[in-house]
Amino acid sequence: MAASKEEMIEKLYECVVEMEDEDVVDVCNEYLEAGYSAYDGIMDGLVAGMNKASELYDEEEYFVTDVLLCSDALYAGLDVLRPKLEASDMDGDSKKVVIGVVEGDTHDIGKNLVKIMLETAGFEMYDLGRDVPLDAYVEKAKEVDADIVAMSTLMTTTMGGMRTVVEKLEEAGIRDRVKVMVGGSPISRKFADEIGAEGYSVNAVEAVKVAKELVGIE
Amino acid sequence: MLSASERLHLILDGEKADRPPCICPGGMMNMVTVGLQDEISVFFPDAHYDAEKMAALAKAVYDKGFFENYGVPFCMTVEAEAMGAEVTMGRKEIEPHVTDYAFDDVHDYKQVKPMDLNAGRAKTVIDSIKILHSYGDDVPIVGNLVGPVSVASSVMEATRFYKQLRKERELSHEYMEFITHELIRFGVAQVEAGADIIAIADPSGTGEIMGPAPFEEYAVPYIEKLQKACQDAGARTIVHICGQMHSVYDKIAKISSNALSFDAIVPLKEARENLPGRVIMGNVSTFAIELKDPDKVRTLTKACIRNGSDIVSPACGLGMGSPSENVRAVLEAVKAESA
Repeated sequence: MAASKEEMIEKLYECVVEMEDEDVVDVCNEYLEAGYSAYDGIMDGLVAGMNKASELYDEEEYFVTDVLLCSDALYAGLDVLRPKLEASDMDGDSKKVVIGVVEGDTHDIGKNLVKIMLETAGFEMYDLGRDVPLDAYVEKAKEVDADIVAMSTLMTTTMGGMRTVVEKLEEAGIRDRVKVMVGGSPISRKFADEIGAEGYSVNAVEAVKVAKELVGIE
Repeated sequence: MLSASERLHLILDGEKADRPPCICPGGMMNMVTVGLQDEISVFFPDAHYDAEKMAALAKAVYDKGFFENYGVPFCMTVEAEAMGAEVTMGRKEIEPHVTDYAFDDVHDYKQVKPMDLNAGRAKTVIDSIKILHSYGDDVPIVGNLVGPVSVASSVMEATRFYKQLRKERELSHEYMEFITHELIRFGVAQVEAGADIIAIADPSGTGEIMGPAPFEEYAVPYIEKLQKACQDAGARTIVHICGQMHSVYDKIAKISSNALSFDAIVPLKEARENLPGRVIMGNVSTFAIELKDPDKVRTLTKACIRNGSDIVSPACGLGMGSPSENVRAVLEAVKAESA
């Protein structure tokens, strides 16, 4: 007997939580063959699993590496289900975030984690990568009419660049249209206040809450 | 009155001294700011590959009243570059950093080339230590090494590296052995060139990133092996661990370096309680040094000493734009506190 939709969704969820980036593809295909909704599979299965992974991360059950492995399973599943989404499933007005690691630093795992979490939460992400020249944040924010500019660094030696980006956003005349979020191990709430960034989060899970607050979701 | 070298050696050997030494090792914990470059007109990026200039900046750190040591190099890319990672040299205000990896999958680690200590910036570092040693003065010379996990994840694509630690354990250990072996060669060469102390910082190998179990499996044993080899070669050692410690104190205790150093997030009192009998180095906020004023820096420095810091140092690398009067305030406060 074929598995019920609920059972299949539970399997998708578990594949993500248990970091099964290969099995998840088979489960997704089975799920589609049974004729179930791609949208529900993504939201109630894959994304719910990723949310569980972030919860475990918050509780220090999971660590950065675990969450990255979960996200591999998430993306492997998304690759299968996404093309099957109905036009009506697409929500046209998601908030836009430009994200990157500031120039001078190439440690991008934390940034990638935040990107994954925000993407899972429904934000439209524009990833500038790492070692990002400071002007590039401003240009991209203008180009896509971003709601948030998010910057990270792991190095104390480069955190001064974040202040420069805030100043450049002002010079470009778009400071009042975008919120600025900063993070990374040397960064603190105090530092964020000091440079005039509205948002600071201590980790990737909190980053989602902060981003939602900044753009007035929930 | 003790010389800077005598004082630091006493403390590293677990003995008493007239006051805590005040140092900043170099390497990840870079202490060469834009201000210091301007002061002696020797600049990045030249100083990263010119031994004379590297030594001149290292000497200026002591001569200009920044810290009570010499230390080289001023970045954490020498080892990774020598093993094939692509590195940009940065600018006056931006340190060198890795821009591309040598390879992407641990199955290919055997294609990584061993470090050539007679060429490139590894040679620059060794030569600059020889120059500093030739001064024959009483300033301790600190040679720096990037820790095994950080080098491994700079030579190989980092995200994949962390994932393969879970999925390809045997190969990952082989790769870590290889990296550690190369680092030992470089560390011993620095000691032979005249480094009194080897400082090891492994910012990518933390309990927070890896989780306590992989930290214990992949970070601790290789750091210990590396620092032990440097001790056996005749140096004292300092190991700096980044990030929160609460989940890994018992594991850190297995690293038998002469001193352990922590970043600003770790309360020194907590470190003291959890690591009884150990020499603790730290941890004046580099955020304060970059953005506050000398008074605030002095207050924080005094708090460090009161909270049990045996060796006062910045908690991490100095922001390149840190005002010189703020940097000097650390050492001033250490001297004033014990006058």
